[in-house]
Amino acid sequence: MHEVSIAQGLLDIAIDNCKKQGYEGIESIRVKIGKASGVVPDSLLFAFEGMKLGTIAEKAVLIIDEIPVSGFCKSCKKKFTVEEKYVIVCPLCGNLSFQVETGRELNIDEIEVF
Amino acid sequence: MKVKVVTNILEANERIAAENRKIFDEVNIFVMNIMSGPGAGKTSLIERTIKELKGKIKIGVIEGDIAGTDDAERIEKHGIPVVQINTGGGCHLDANMIREVLEDFPLKELDLLIIENVGNLVCPAEFNLGEDMKVMLLSIAEGHDKPLKYPLMFQESSALILNKIDLLPYTDADINKMKKDSLSLNPKLKIFDVSCKTGDGISEWTNWLQSLVK
Repeated sequence: MHEVSIAQGLLDIAIDNCKKQGYEGIESIRVKIGKASGVVPDSLLFAFEGMKLGTIAEKAVLIIDEIPVSGFCKSCKKKFTVEEKYVIVCPLCGNLSFQVETGRELNIDEIEVF
Repeated sequence: MKVKVVTNILEANERIAAENRKIFDEVNIFVMNIMSGPGAGKTSLIERTIKELKGKIKIGVIEGDIAGTDDAERIEKHGIPVVQINTGGGCHLDANMIREVLEDFPLKELDLLIIENVGNLVCPAEFNLGEDMKVMLLSIAEGHDKPLKYPLMFQESSALILNKIDLLPYTDADINKMKKDSLSLNPKLKIFDVSCKTGDGISEWTNWLQSLVK
């Protein structure tokens, strides 16, 4: 949800970093979006294409790395990764006592500038 | 030329939420964020909570709505410090909105700050306010399919208040399915069956809340 404000947020951070490093424009922005973050990649892309116009990121490509949901089970002591967005029980042993480690990311990773 | 950024896109909200958290810890106040769909009974639950706990702990309330002051007016009648936030269109409260009203409260004198979020089963779950605990309501009238349709809010909450149990004879809602599906999303969820209208189940809820506050 809120892909528009998230697109605005990532643009602000990218533009700020670009200017601070002394560069003029942005070629690409790589973001890491967890599968369980609630963000829909297509919607984010759509919002980004609209919001970048008129900024130094006007020609920039948004690259979205989707991070799967993974965790560690305290019962069988094993790491696991799932295809789904939500983990309800450990997919290996069925126990409830696990910790989700990845999948909720909403990070801007790196920018390519000129 | 590649520049590493490595920043949380919602960094601004997380940072302000952490600052709010620091303020709350310094004044030793317990902060509860109440969420639900519109009309599930958040304000009624707060009113019932105030009635039960008013003599025992000092309570303050932040009301969040897109527009209007109805909810704050209801709370004001109980003689409790209350501030109404109008988001003007925003569908959830964020940490900055909370920060801006904290100075309107005698925080050092309060034991419990209740934040009533905007009625919405989707977005409030995603925005940290710096609270100690997220609590949600689901009313019988909303139907037993809601947990699986709106998983995040159920997963983020510590407690689920199933409200309007007085309506059970008049709807097809299956309360056992509501509980089963909610627990499948979040096995640690504490569930309370209440009717804010009749008062049923309220004291179980307020006893638990009081045990967390003191």
